[in-house]
Amino acid sequence: MVASSWRDGLTRIADAPAVLAGIYFITLVAALPLATAIGFDINEHLGSSLTANEVADSVNYDWWQEFASQGGFLTLTSTFTPSIVGFATTLDSISSLLDKRPIVPAIAFALGFYMFVWVFLQGGILDRYARGRRIGAYGFFAASGIFFLRFVRLGLVAGVAYWFLFAYVHEWLFARWYVNVTRDIAIERTVFYWRVVMYAIFVALLALTTTVLDYAKVRAVVEDRRSMAGALIAAIRFIIRNPGRVVGLYLTNTFLFLAVVGVWALINPGVGGSGASMWAGVLLSQGYILARLIVKLQVLASETALFQRSLAHWGYSAVPLATRPEPPIVEIA
Amino acid sequence: MRWTFGLCAIAVALLSSTTLDSSQRFDQPAPGARSPRNANYEIDVRLEPGDRALHGRERIRWRNISANPTGELQFHLYWNAWRNAESTWLRERRLGGNTTTPRPDAWGWTDIKALRVTQDRNYDLGSSVRFIAPDDGNTADRTVAAVSLPQPVPPNGTVDIDIEWSAKIPRPFARTGYIDDYYFFGQWFPKIGVLEDDGWNTHQFHSGTEFYSDYGVYDVRMTVPRGYVVGASGREVTVSDSSNGTAIHHFHGEDIHDFAWTTSPQFIVLTRMFTHPTLPQVQMRLLLRPEHAGQEARHFDAAVATLRYYGEWFGPYPYGNITIVDPAFQSGSGGMEYPTLFTAGTRWIAPARVLSPESVTVHEAGHQWWYGLVGSNEFEHAWMDEGINQFSEARVDEVAFGTRNFLARRYFGGFIPWVFRDIAVKRQVDEGLAGYRAQAESDAQATPSFRYWPSTGGNITYFKTALWLHTLEKWLGWPTLQRAMSTYFDAWKFRHPEPAEFFQQLNQTAGRDLTPFFDEVYRGSDTFDYGVQTLTSTPAGTGHFRTTVVVRRFGEATFPVDVLTIFSDGSKKTERWDGIERRAIYRYDTKVRARSVQVDPNRVLMLDVNYTNNSRTLQSRASEASLKWSLKWMAWLQDVLLTYAWLV
Repeated sequence: MVASSWRDGLTRIADAPAVLAGIYFITLVAALPLATAIGFDINEHLGSSLTANEVADSVNYDWWQEFASQGGFLTLTSTFTPSIVGFATTLDSISSLLDKRPIVPAIAFALGFYMFVWVFLQGGILDRYARGRRIGAYGFFAASGIFFLRFVRLGLVAGVAYWFLFAYVHEWLFARWYVNVTRDIAIERTVFYWRVVMYAIFVALLALTTTVLDYAKVRAVVEDRRSMAGALIAAIRFIIRNPGRVVGLYLTNTFLFLAVVGVWALINPGVGGSGASMWAGVLLSQGYILARLIVKLQVLASETALFQRSLAHWGYSAVPLATRPEPPIVEIA
Repeated sequence: MRWTFGLCAIAVALLSSTTLDSSQRFDQPAPGARSPRNANYEIDVRLEPGDRALHGRERIRWRNISANPTGELQFHLYWNAWRNAESTWLRERRLGGNTTTPRPDAWGWTDIKALRVTQDRNYDLGSSVRFIAPDDGNTADRTVAAVSLPQPVPPNGTVDIDIEWSAKIPRPFARTGYIDDYYFFGQWFPKIGVLEDDGWNTHQFHSGTEFYSDYGVYDVRMTVPRGYVVGASGREVTVSDSSNGTAIHHFHGEDIHDFAWTTSPQFIVLTRMFTHPTLPQVQMRLLLRPEHAGQEARHFDAAVATLRYYGEWFGPYPYGNITIVDPAFQSGSGGMEYPTLFTAGTRWIAPARVLSPESVTVHEAGHQWWYGLVGSNEFEHAWMDEGINQFSEARVDEVAFGTRNFLARRYFGGFIPWVFRDIAVKRQVDEGLAGYRAQAESDAQATPSFRYWPSTGGNITYFKTALWLHTLEKWLGWPTLQRAMSTYFDAWKFRHPEPAEFFQQLNQTAGRDLTPFFDEVYRGSDTFDYGVQTLTSTPAGTGHFRTTVVVRRFGEATFPVDVLTIFSDGSKKTERWDGIERRAIYRYDTKVRARSVQVDPNRVLMLDVNYTNNSRTLQSRASEASLKWSLKWMAWLQDVLLTYAWLV
């Protein structure tokens, strides 16, 4: 069941390339304005200097530090660190989430926008994957609209859960338990293992939360549930009744994620030069972003498939497919 | 047995007191010794691991080498900095932004149980010990104690001081304390201050500065549980087991001005000999933590590079032995220097292409020259040891390890490093240009170091000095600077130089008056920033181009700089600008168009806080560069967005 659901998920993604393309476009659009802004800043700082030539061809860390010093703490410029190069991007972003590092306001704004768009589009995405056939743009956005307010309500519940996890559980794990248990340990490796334990607990809690929310959304879409409380309870019930399958599928998707990250660690482009070398680097990094998006969509698609297979409802969705109303000319005719 | 040391020293002291007059400069080597040896210690100390306590007795044989008599003695009791929350050290730490309250078991202190002095007879002065706060009048600070003497000690007069004390070992503060079964003891014993011609120089313990003391002979016996390895200043003479499960480690060090030690049963002891065609042999002893087994070569190689290059550039290391301590994780004792012993510091995962532990090892080993041998006052002129040493270290890093010095960042709580194999670290990065740039105007270097603003003082002490010395290296040439520094080292080893002595030596060797430069970098806090304001090159009649270059001084500080204009046929025009006026204009009529102009093209002025504006070209590639880097940044942001999108 796990393997077939997982394969089924991939098939559903492959059958809906427009969804992937659309989500990639959104990921690009969410990042592009700020990237343009920092590009202007870099351009202005480099001016007509000879340093620009060096920076175009390779890297000048001295200049980098000089540029970064132009902005203060929590400005966009302060995010222009070596962590933007190659595989460090991934280490930095995951570490930032798990270590609860402060987020620069401009980045937080972009993140808020991006998450909002995800909440809006998830109804359409799940509906498309649940039906397993083309629903057209109208059907997609209609489904998005139908489920948007329901998912906003679900999002509020999720917000409370995440707030509790990050504000209290994280604090308790990392600022209290970890600190207390490692305070007298003089061996770095042992302290690191303790940190891994904390990460494992925290990630498990986050994974559990996201899984419950995912299945709540899946059930809301597949079964056309209007009560999000009911969807949450139904999701929990489903997970309790199918723990092996749910965990198995989650781990399989986690391995897919690790595989994507592992390949990225091997082929990341580093600093690179300008011209063709630069565009090759852009292609590689955007390929990686695309792969991460596929993983994200695969989680949703495979979970939908698992739920539908568990209920012998493959390809079933309770909500009627929205169709474009016929134009007035039809009545006249 | 314990107090038999020093008969010769007493005889020498008595002899010299009859032969020297009070107008003489007394800060000179004692006969037959490298240093004045006027503060000599015999210490017997016992570690009580169960109580986390030290119990000690010491005899200080002190000689007044100032020009004036003194009726008082002053002592440092550094560990009292962690006796209460209102000590000057903790107040300053809070000013620096660290408001963490120490846990109940973290505090440390020193209690004097008895104090007797021997002059014409033995006096018990234990009840007359009082605490003073010469720097800030803080009555809660107990880091300096004073006692009045029954009789003044005349110039070249001596006094024996016997002190018994107990100390609670802190959880690590300022590189001293314990964690688990690892102990590091710095500034752990009652230590006499430095008497200068104008009185005692005994500063309170400050959070941002270090120490100052006279040279002498240290004969120290440390009693620790049997099986514990001991590393200490000086050289181990004997180890003898006691019947009660302890062992006594006897160390002896001569012509040193401090004594530190460490003990732990976990240390792996490794030794290697430094040999060199012209420098004396040095036995290196490494006390390595088991989790760092396999990194011994990196520690030894860095120590060898230091002994070699510092020895060749400045002067030989004279002691014949050096101990490298690999500190325990979370001990807070890494990266600290003591005579003939220092703590390095490494990580469990230490990538080969990153200079850790090399750079910290070179730095702390380098302090044997700039701190250990040249004994400047770290309270007042911290730049004379830290800054000069930062410069020296960065130079060794470049010469010895430059090909594998790459940038790394650490993630996941600092445990997981990632090396940027295409971002090489240049010397100015090691010299802390970024740190200096951020705090360039925070304090003038001439301000006594202990009065620097606690959170920014390090940038002035370490980085500004390293950068202005690097500037001098490029300006005067390394041979000249090296000659000046080695002459200064030779003249002031085992003594206490003041800043003027260093400047005087630089002037003398350079054969020019560098005072205006020292006024800028030492006495002032202005920043240097030269740049190009305008470059135009337009047709002016048949086959000619009129090129106009306007260069500007954006900062307040001044320095002579070159202005290099390059033309499209590769020809060059170099102008020498004294850099004093706010701007200079150069005009050229040439057959070809100008291509670029650079102020300070060889980057002599390492203190220039904005080097990007130092050049201008008519064929700019800024848009190419900004496109490249903004696309990289965009991929990073997309990664961040996707990572957080896991939650929705």
